[in-house]
Amino acid sequence: MKSKKPLDVKTLVSALIISAILFGAGLFTGFLINKERLSGIEKEMKNVITDVENFQLQFLFFDVLGENATCPLLKATLLDINKNSYEIGSKLTSYGSDSEIHDYNEYINLKKEYSRLLISYWLLANKLRTVCNYNASTIVYFFSKDCARCDDQGFILTYLKSKFSDNILIFALDADLDEPSVQVLKKYYNITTTTEPALVINGKLYQKFCTEEELEKILNLNK
Amino acid sequence: MMLWVTALNFVAWYIFIFISVVWIMVLLQNRENFYENKSYRSLPTVSVLVPAYNEEKTIGKTIRSLLNLDYPKNLLEIIVINDASTDKTGKIAEYFSKQGKIKLLTNKKNRGKAYSLNRGIRHAKGELIACIDADSIVEPQILKKMVGYFDDKNVAAVTPALRVWKTTNFLEKIQHAEYLLNVFLRKALAFIDAIHVTPGVFSIYRKSVLLEVGGFETDNLTEDMEIALKIHKFGYKIENSINAKSYTLCPDRWKDLLKQRIRWYRGAIQNSLKYRKMFFNPKYGNLGVFFLPINFLAVMSIIVIFFVMAWNYIGMALNYLWKLYLINWDVSILLQGINLEYLITNIVSTQFFLALLGLAVGAYVLYISFKMNNEPISENKPGYFMYLIFFPFILMCFWALALMYEILRFKREW
Repeated sequence: MKSKKPLDVKTLVSALIISAILFGAGLFTGFLINKERLSGIEKEMKNVITDVENFQLQFLFFDVLGENATCPLLKATLLDINKNSYEIGSKLTSYGSDSEIHDYNEYINLKKEYSRLLISYWLLANKLRTVCNYNASTIVYFFSKDCARCDDQGFILTYLKSKFSDNILIFALDADLDEPSVQVLKKYYNITTTTEPALVINGKLYQKFCTEEELEKILNLNK
Repeated sequence: MMLWVTALNFVAWYIFIFISVVWIMVLLQNRENFYENKSYRSLPTVSVLVPAYNEEKTIGKTIRSLLNLDYPKNLLEIIVINDASTDKTGKIAEYFSKQGKIKLLTNKKNRGKAYSLNRGIRHAKGELIACIDADSIVEPQILKKMVGYFDDKNVAAVTPALRVWKTTNFLEKIQHAEYLLNVFLRKALAFIDAIHVTPGVFSIYRKSVLLEVGGFETDNLTEDMEIALKIHKFGYKIENSINAKSYTLCPDRWKDLLKQRIRWYRGAIQNSLKYRKMFFNPKYGNLGVFFLPINFLAVMSIIVIFFVMAWNYIGMALNYLWKLYLINWDVSILLQGINLEYLITNIVSTQFFLALLGLAVGAYVLYISFKMNNEPISENKPGYFMYLIFFPFILMCFWALALMYEILRFKREW
C-alpha cells in the first residue's frame, strides 16, 4: 500500500486556482450574456431608426400621392414601428433595472439615442393624427428611478399595449435622462415630480399612478 | 439587490466551488489507495455493542446479521443493551441471549444511547468495541475488512461505508444518494486525517482509548461526533474503510427526517462550540486548520446562497403575482408571449450562471460518489436528481431551523 497523501499547501493553492478559473468562467458567461443582450438591443434599435427614417420619407409622399393613398400606408408603418419601439423600450428598462455590472456609458448613450428617436417618432404620430384623421391614442410615459410605482405602471402599460395593440401608441421616456429633448418635453407638459409616474395621454397630463381600469376609462373617453 | 449581498453571495459560491475542488483533488491524489484492503497481523478480540430502544421491528435482523459475521466466535462477543424499551425489543433480545448467542444488559430506566454504550463498554471483554444501532445491519466480512487498521497504534477508531438499508420510498431514495456522497466525503476526510464523525452504525473503537477519553458523553445530541472530536483531541487517528459495508434505516417520513436533522445539526453546532479551540489549531492538523473552519464556512455559505436565492426568486414570484393582480389576473394576454421575455431577462443573470456552475460541480461530485460506491445512477435516478437539485434547499431549511433553535436556546432533545 502506498502511503496517504496528506493535504498540502500545493493542493490547496491548485484548488484555489482551479476554483477561481471555474468561478471566473461562471462570472464571465454572465457578463457575456449581458453584453450580448445589450448588443441585441442595439441591433434592434438600428432597425427602428431605419424604420423611422423610412417613415419620415413616406411623409413626403403626401405631396405627390395625396392623403387618400398615403394615409393607409403611413398608418401601417406607424403601427409596425410602435410595436418594435415599445419592446425595445421595455428591454432597455429591464436591462437597466438589473443590478449587474455593465458598460454604463454605452447603456446611457443607447438610452439617449433611443429617447430622441422616440420623440421624433411621437411628433410624426401626432402629425399623422391631424393630417390623416387617425384616431389611435398616444401615451407619453415618463418614468424615473425615484418613482416607486413606475415598475407597476410600466407593466400595466405593457399589458394595455398587448391588449389594444393597434389603438394605443406608447412612448416611454426616462425622465432622469440628461437629454435636452426629453427635458424640453417635460417642461412643456409641466411635469414637476419624478416620484410619481407621469402620463401624457392624448396631450393631457396625469401625474399619478393610474390603474388599469382608470387608463381604460381615460382612453375610451378620448376616443 | 444590495451590493454587499451580491458580494457575499459571490464569496459563498466561490467557497462552495473551492471545497468541491479540494475533495476531488484529495481523492484523485489518493485514488490508488481508495479501495485498499488493510491486512491484519492477527485478529483482535471484538465486542459488538447494540444499544436498543424500541427497535422491535429491526433488532432481530440486526442481531442475526451480527451472528452471521465472518469472525472467530471465540474472539467475538455481542452485547445488547436494552434501554428500558416499552415494546418487544427486550423479548427479542432475551430470545437470543437464552440461546447463549448474545449478552443482554437491561437498563431499569431509559437512559439514552451514550449511557447504554458506556455501560456496554464496562462489560465488554474485547480489545475493540464496535457499536451498532439496532436499526442497522452489516455485511459478514465487515470486521475482517476493518480490524487491520488497528495494527497502527495511533488509530483509535475506524468507520465503515454507511449506506441506507431500504430505498423503497422517495425520501429514502434521496437519502441513499446523500449517504453515498457521505461515503465519498468520509473517505476523502480519512485521507487528510480529518474524520469528524464516527457514525453509530458499526464504527469500531479501541477500547483502551474509549476508556482513556472517558467514553461517550451522555448529554450530547450527536455523541458520535463528540467522540470523534474527543479522539482527535487526545491525539489519535480515525480511519475509514470504504469496502466495509453497513446499512441503516433512514427516516421514511418528512416529520422523522426533520426531527433527525434538527438533532444532527444542533449536535454539530453544540460540538463545534464545545471543541471551538480545535478550530485553526495546528495541533489538530488538517482537521483543525482546514476541515473544521472550512466546514463551518461551507454551511454558512450554503445558507447565504440559499437565502439569497430564496429572496430573489420568491421576491420575483411575489412581484409577478402582484403584477397579475394589477391587470386583474388577465393571464390570457400574458400567455401570448409578451412576458416570457420579461421572465427570461430577469432570471438569466450572473447569479443564474453561478447556480448552473454550482449544479454542474455538485452533479460531478455526486456522480463520482455513485461511481465509487459501484452504484449505477440509473438505479436511483430520482435520488440522484432530487438530491442534487432539491434536497440542498430542504437541508438548508433544517440547518436554519437548527441554528434558530440553538440561538433561542430551545431545550436540546435527543
